[in-house]
Amino acid sequence: LIEFYDSFKDMFEFFCKNTTIHGTIRLVCSDSNRMKTAFWTLLFLASFGMLYWQFALMFSQYWAYPVVLTMSMHSEPKMFPAITICNLDPYRFGLVSEHLAQLDRMAEESIAFLYGINTSASFFHANEKNIYNIKDLPSIRNLSRSSFKLSQNYSLLRMPDHSNRSGKKHFNVGFKLCNATGGNCFYKTYSSGMDAILEWYRFHYMNIMSQLPVIINISDHEEQIEDMVYSCQYDGEPCRPSDYVHFHHPVFGSCYTFNNKGTDPFWTATKPGIPYGLSLILRAEQKDHIPLLSTVAGVKVMIHNHNQTPFLEHEGFDIRPGIATTIGIQQDEVNRLGGNYGKCTTNGDDVNVKLLYNNSYTLQACLHSCFQHIMVQKCGCGYYYYPLPAGAEYCDYNKQPAWGHCFYQLYNRLRNHHLNCFDQCPKPCRESQYKVFAGTAKWPSAKSQDWVRQALRHQNGYNSTSNRLDIAKVTIFYQQLNYKSVNESPLLSENLLLSSMGSQWSLWFGSSVLSVVEMFELLIDTLVLSLLFCYQRFRSKKT
Amino acid sequence: ITARIKRTLPVRGPQAPTLSELMRWYCLNTNTHGCRRIVVSRGRLRRFIWILLTLSAVGLILWQCAELLLNYYSASVSVTVQFQKLPFPAVTICNINPYKYSSMKDYLSELDKETKKALETFYGFSEGKSKVRRSVDERNSTGSEFFKQIPLLKFEDFSRTVIDLHSGQKRKIEGSVFHKDSSIVNSGDSNDIIGFQLCDANNSSDCALYTFSSGVNAIQEWYKLHYMNIMAQIPLETKEKASYSADDLILTCFFDGLSCDKRHFTRFHHPLHGNCYTFNSGENGTILSTSTGGSEYGLQVVLYIDEADYNPFLVTSTGAKIIVHDQNEYPFIEDIGTEIETAAATSIGMHFTRSRKLSKPYSDCTETGADIPVENLYNKSYSLQICLHSCFQKAMVDSCGCAQYAQPLPPGAEYCNYKKNPNWMYCYYRLHEKFVKEQLGCQQICKDACSFKEWALTTSIAQWPSTVSEDWMLRVLSWDKGQKLNKKLNKTDLANLMVFYKDLNERFISENPANTLVILLSNFGGQLGLWMSCSVVCVIEIVEVFLIDSLSIVMRRQWQKAKKWWNDRKRERLGKAPQAGDLERQGHDNPVCIDEDLPTFNTALRLPLPQDSPLPRTPPPNYSTLRLETAFTEQLPDTLEAGQH
Repeated sequence: LIEFYDSFKDMFEFFCKNTTIHGTIRLVCSDSNRMKTAFWTLLFLASFGMLYWQFALMFSQYWAYPVVLTMSMHSEPKMFPAITICNLDPYRFGLVSEHLAQLDRMAEESIAFLYGINTSASFFHANEKNIYNIKDLPSIRNLSRSSFKLSQNYSLLRMPDHSNRSGKKHFNVGFKLCNATGGNCFYKTYSSGMDAILEWYRFHYMNIMSQLPVIINISDHEEQIEDMVYSCQYDGEPCRPSDYVHFHHPVFGSCYTFNNKGTDPFWTATKPGIPYGLSLILRAEQKDHIPLLSTVAGVKVMIHNHNQTPFLEHEGFDIRPGIATTIGIQQDEVNRLGGNYGKCTTNGDDVNVKLLYNNSYTLQACLHSCFQHIMVQKCGCGYYYYPLPAGAEYCDYNKQPAWGHCFYQLYNRLRNHHLNCFDQCPKPCRESQYKVFAGTAKWPSAKSQDWVRQALRHQNGYNSTSNRLDIAKVTIFYQQLNYKSVNESPLLSENLLLSSMGSQWSLWFGSSVLSVVEMFELLIDTLVLSLLFCYQRFRSKKT
Repeated sequence: ITARIKRTLPVRGPQAPTLSELMRWYCLNTNTHGCRRIVVSRGRLRRFIWILLTLSAVGLILWQCAELLLNYYSASVSVTVQFQKLPFPAVTICNINPYKYSSMKDYLSELDKETKKALETFYGFSEGKSKVRRSVDERNSTGSEFFKQIPLLKFEDFSRTVIDLHSGQKRKIEGSVFHKDSSIVNSGDSNDIIGFQLCDANNSSDCALYTFSSGVNAIQEWYKLHYMNIMAQIPLETKEKASYSADDLILTCFFDGLSCDKRHFTRFHHPLHGNCYTFNSGENGTILSTSTGGSEYGLQVVLYIDEADYNPFLVTSTGAKIIVHDQNEYPFIEDIGTEIETAAATSIGMHFTRSRKLSKPYSDCTETGADIPVENLYNKSYSLQICLHSCFQKAMVDSCGCAQYAQPLPPGAEYCNYKKNPNWMYCYYRLHEKFVKEQLGCQQICKDACSFKEWALTTSIAQWPSTVSEDWMLRVLSWDKGQKLNKKLNKTDLANLMVFYKDLNERFISENPANTLVILLSNFGGQLGLWMSCSVVCVIEIVEVFLIDSLSIVMRRQWQKAKKWWNDRKRERLGKAPQAGDLERQGHDNPVCIDEDLPTFNTALRLPLPQDSPLPRTPPPNYSTLRLETAFTEQLPDTLEAGQH
């Protein structure tokens, strides 16, 4: 099957005759002219060196996995993005309304104490919505705060939990947070009293709200979309009842997401321009149920991708009452190469943070989930604004007196990138961003406001008679349907790497992969031959 | 002549008489690696391995080269940022309200009366009636006929009982209901839905019903429908006069730190927005540019927006609309215009980007629009928007017989109005629905433009004038405005607008082909060299040996067979001795006497050697790739021998 050579000489002769490697053959097979051999050795070594130097360069470049960004314009028709609107008016749930009233009073007192102003009683008007019977919960006994006047320096009333406190020279307002033993305390201070009060209020609010059951049946509340959206049109046609999803946000109130799924052909964008966009007439009342939670009046709008949890606190857009706002959007898409070229995830399955939001993966959702997991692990309870992992409960300072201390420190570490959440959460491989550009005009105009209001009053149960601006109009449209997409693509694909290797090889040696196999063959032959000879000699010796 | 050609260009057949001989010859003499090894290797397994290796190398080459070819039509993008003196774009400014309400009153009084009546019956809304009292009756006869044809309707539930605005009676209507899904907004009290019905004039049973989620939208849409009919009948000069003049709209103007006036603005009449004014339209040949970026050096105008003279039903918001565009572009104010608020200073910062795409075969775009079968109705440069609008207008003229009011007229057509085309509205709505559902084919015909300019805008709004400056500013502006307006200006009638370059960088995004022919070829060369150390010459060699030579061998075989068969038959018929057959065979094995197969030019040129005769069948001489010359000299005697033989 395989014939072997009779001797090494035979083999080498054969090799010299038939090999295809250019330099070697001259070296090995040239006549025994010393000068020539030396010359060819030199040449061979030089070209060999050049070749491997080039190879090293190429491979080091390839293994660095460089990417090039390519930008391309696309213009295929696509879906309108999902739109979330919120009325910035969270409910006062009946279950906790008494505590909230208590908190309001407390805030009033502390403002009076800090600044010496008696705020008008109407500021904290008692609410009118009592939906559930108030269960008798243990009243928040130790929810007492101490504060002191800003103009005088030290009048610190220390209480087990929290205290407002000012700095030395200027009036830093803040409150004190301690750990469980009380040995480690710090003051959360703010340069402006307003921030401090808002933060202080928020902190208490979270504690109160944590008493609510985790799943609240919002549909029981009589709040309907008609109370907020007076008119909804997309592409000249009225929106349909199936087009929106309702949820309640503890800060932003009741929110409606239009086109959440992004599968309904009704929402395809056919043409750019204002007449073909989503047009809404909204109630933007300034009647706040919880005045100290958000101080903004109007409506919050967010434009986001389908199946994505809207993080309104991060990228919401505010709509002023009495104004028609036209928001032009433009889409940008980013596609990242995963794998060796960079860290990104296509659907979040390979991320070892369990997502608490049952929507598609986003960086923000991952960070929040990561933080919540750490929070539950370290502080023993969950942060109220984020969803709960299984088996955990929301923080409440009656149960976990030290959670405030724990939370703020943890949050600081997150902000300073000391928690490894940013390492654990890769960016999604495919992202689209919406660039927003807004124009505003007064609406309704002085001439038309009478009939507009009358029509709304009659038809939509709009019941304001005052001249206050409390309606707003929003139009969201595509400025252009073509969108830019930025794609990462490998600078050196394997294909190109092989090509350039081949060019180098041919350039310096004129040989190919097959020549290398020839060398291998020679090597194996040598081995086998020497083994054979050894064996023969061994046998001959024996005999 | 043939004899001479044969003499001067001695054509011999292929290098070997049989296919296997030819292969052997090829493998020994080729420059590609691997093949020679197949022949010279000793041992069957070794040979088999070499065959496998060579074939896999060929396969790899083919695969990689196919991949290279597939990637050939990809484009890479380069972004350049240039710092230069940028031309200022054209800025078109319109009042949101198209015509002064006071001057249009004669035409619209009938419609307004109707609208007010509708409001009163449906909503119990009554305005101070004194204004409408003057009731001009001379138009009454013509106008209200049409209003009666298309009245506002109030629906009771969805049982299709409606209350007519005029008769106030209930009646049943039939016809397909558009938007019939109950709208999300008023599922509660559905008896309040307002809409209107459009019927085919020729066939009154064919009706379409339009309902709206809010009465505000319904009334506005209904008003607009009738308004367009009325406006289509009014001549252009009258409309231009009824709209705002440059003096009316623009109070002050500053550009690049210098004062400017109405001569810098070009008027253009927009069917829906009345008179619009374009700053820096480039009409007189010069295009202004700013010396530096920043709000100081941009365009700064104060606009007078006469809120009291607004049409209450047509427009419900107050302000102005602006659009930033290129001098060659048509401003689509109604589609992508930006609104500006009154009593506020709006500053708009711009960022300029120019983009260029590669046209075919890289992407499907058009350079000038000349290759698109839709006539450009706007005398501006091509854009997708223009194409879509033109396409729709063409379809409208074709199927409805008249042109839609909001778009320019194609030659030989006229605008729709219901005196001449009583059917047009129904036709229009049907057509528009088709258009949106992409049944007209416009979206397929129209392509993107390959190069476009884009100004990315960012706005910020501040209150203006400030309370302390309000007093003197309003006084000065009122004085400027002159005597014809003897009332003091109100701050809610003014809008301040600044449009400026944020910086003078021009971003130029252009696509370039990622692969040129040179790169493609060098990559091919790399692949060929890497696997087999092959080159173009060896490709030619392969073509020669495997295609031409082997084909000629096969053909010769066939020819000989046919000839033999023919001879056999002849012999049988003649009953001759069989020696001839022997001779014959010798003859056709002898290459010199083969003239039957057609010599191709290639073989004629490239084959220097006569082939081996079958007789010697020598084992391959000791060729060496290094000493090709010797190989030839060694081979030559053989072949000569064969020749002599």
